Amino acid sequence: MIYLDYSATTPVSYEVFDTISKVTKEFVGNANSINALGRKSASLLESATKQIADILGINTSEITYTSGATEANNMALIGVAMKYHKKGKHIITSKLEHPSIYAICDYLKSIGFSIDYVNNDSEGLIDFDDLKNKIREDTILVSICAVNSETGVRQPLKMIRQIIKKENARTLLHSDMTQAIGKVPVNFHDVDLASMSAHKIFGPKGIGFLYKSSMVSIAPILYGSGKSNELKPGTPPLPLIAALSKALRLALNDLEKKERFVNLLNEKIVNNLSKYPNILINKTKYSIPHILNISIMDVMPEVMINALDKYEVYLSTNTACSSGEVSHSIMAIYDDLKRAKHTLRISLSYVTTTDEINKFLNIFSEVYDSLKIVK
Amino acid sequence: MKKIIIIKYAELSTKKANINFFLKALKNNIDNALTCNHIISYDRGRMFISVSEENIDKTIDVLLHTFGIHEIVIGFIDEDRTFEVIANNVLDLIKTQEFKTFKVETKRSDKEYPMDSMEVSKKLGSVILNNKECRVDVHNPEVIIHIEIRKDAILYYTNGIHGLGGYPVGTLGKGLLMLSGGIDSPVAGYLTIKRGVKLSALYFESPPHTSEAAKDKVIKLARVLAKYNPNMTLYAINFTKIQEAILRNIPYEYLITIMRRMMYRIAEKIANSENSKIIVNGESIGQVASQTLTSMSVINSVVNMPVIRPVACFDKLEIIDIAKKIGTFDISTLPYEDCCTVFVPEHPVINPELNKCIEYEKLIPYEELIDEAIKSKQVIKIKEEEKIFEDIL
Repeated sequence: MIYLDYSATTPVSYEVFDTISKVTKEFVGNANSINALGRKSASLLESATKQIADILGINTSEITYTSGATEANNMALIGVAMKYHKKGKHIITSKLEHPSIYAICDYLKSIGFSIDYVNNDSEGLIDFDDLKNKIREDTILVSICAVNSETGVRQPLKMIRQIIKKENARTLLHSDMTQAIGKVPVNFHDVDLASMSAHKIFGPKGIGFLYKSSMVSIAPILYGSGKSNELKPGTPPLPLIAALSKALRLALNDLEKKERFVNLLNEKIVNNLSKYPNILINKTKYSIPHILNISIMDVMPEVMINALDKYEVYLSTNTACSSGEVSHSIMAIYDDLKRAKHTLRISLSYVTTTDEINKFLNIFSEVYDSLKIVK
Repeated sequence: MKKIIIIKYAELSTKKANINFFLKALKNNIDNALTCNHIISYDRGRMFISVSEENIDKTIDVLLHTFGIHEIVIGFIDEDRTFEVIANNVLDLIKTQEFKTFKVETKRSDKEYPMDSMEVSKKLGSVILNNKECRVDVHNPEVIIHIEIRKDAILYYTNGIHGLGGYPVGTLGKGLLMLSGGIDSPVAGYLTIKRGVKLSALYFESPPHTSEAAKDKVIKLARVLAKYNPNMTLYAINFTKIQEAILRNIPYEYLITIMRRMMYRIAEKIANSENSKIIVNGESIGQVASQTLTSMSVINSVVNMPVIRPVACFDKLEIIDIAKKIGTFDISTLPYEDCCTVFVPEHPVINPELNKCIEYEKLIPYEELIDEAIKSKQVIKIKEEEKIFEDIL
């Protein structure tokens, strides 16, 4: 098997699996109970949260566990909207977001908020002038992802924040950091709110968190009991939380070395595929090496995926969350419908081997050549 | 060019004859707090710490929790003293810094160096102006670029980070902090440590009226203080029998007054046993009934030792500001009852009378109970941030 869909999800690493199993067996108490078993669980919860906070340079009280990035995005966007709707109903996002952001924005639009989509330049970078012009007195939130899930384009959040705060100091900045964390360095102090998910960093599915700066207050979207967090009531899923903490620690070990290695793999693929005139490499100078998007102009991408399945080579069309649709991001960057309909996403990880890439390139060339002939 | 950490001393410059005592203590405190390999050297003006590049952040964090430091500066040292190298190094140094105005200040301890200080400053100034968009401001610069020409090397540094000030911990002797789970006492402890006092802490628990969680909370608070006051000892006193005796025998309005008098007695005995010269607590004038001037005087009268109340004259909000700054606020506000909050009379006496206290106390065999409580005290060695669950996380 050659798995090249790490940006859709990752397998759970052995170390993390070990944590899940140990915590499930040994920590039976509810972290909200005051008895000794509950305290033992609460103590682990606290240590796990502290480890995350220390690694990321934030406070423990700024972390709210969620079921993943989609839930965190909901909490952030709807939470800001509900809290500040009297101050303004204007929200800005980009054309390079995860589908969940668009779905939430559509909902907010349906209840009276106005949504603006900021343009980007031909390299995928947010158009700073356009952003500046779109910010208004009543803009309560800007949501821009740290790394685009289809093209890997990375946004300069610090600069974006500076522009926003200069235009309207009250406008908050949220960033979906799911595709950035564990791949490239991120700084949570560049944003007011951020989302992430464990299953992209060799952690389990079903857990992620929302970062909310302690300087910011938002309205909860969930109500219930449980003292551990004001935004997320209920019993904390301790095995998943401990697993998230461990996965994050492991992911951020030697981050730069891992990134350099993935870059070598990325370049190898790019060099090889560049020889095909009908394959376009959708890579800009701001793309991170872990996500490599290409457009195969003379073969339908679904057909390519199906054919590769037989060889146990796994990749995606655009993103797992919007498979089969026109790629928004490629449209936004290249403004070319055909190119946007023909995308394939090859996503790499530091666990990918050079050998796997060599095999992949051979299989790819065989499959591609055979499909071209069919056409 | 090699990185070096430079420390400028806090209030120590007012010490004359015994400054070496303070500097030695500061060096020892840093020595003990650093877990990585390091070399420390110092003179009366500054202290230099060399650690490997990857340990610099960790070292700075330690120094940011060490009293006796006015400023922490990351400097560079280079043995090559030729002007071209100096100029390049300076450009390297300011590459990542953002400023609009600057000045260069050169010190030349090696008087045989071919250029004098003024000349070096002037020439470096023009090198910087040619390479960066900025201007010279000799009166109020955003950044001062310091160059020191020494016999063996050139030392470079710019603006530093503010240290905590105060005196090196331990230089002023020992004290015992009455540490509850509240907001005030950890702040009182912090302020006392700042003045160079090495602290132990004393906690009263009343199981089952108070919970293990409440004790954990106090241990956590002690752990925060231990960052500034390493190797802290926490004494946990089981106060249940005394508290129950008071509840059963003493008029309700005097409950808190008598309880505090018992706590003071125990505190003094423990302080004496470990050679502490003072008792420290978080009382603040007027905050609660036991903290009126009359109450303080009636309670204080059971001990002969000085009782230091660093936050006596602070408003609650001022105390909270410090608690947030040092990281105890979020722990203190966890919702667990402690000894002082678990039984509170509806109308505690605001102006207790000493005579009544003495009469009431005759109703309980308190000396016996106190001795018993002290005998069974639990001694907890507080280590800074224990690595728990290492195997899981």
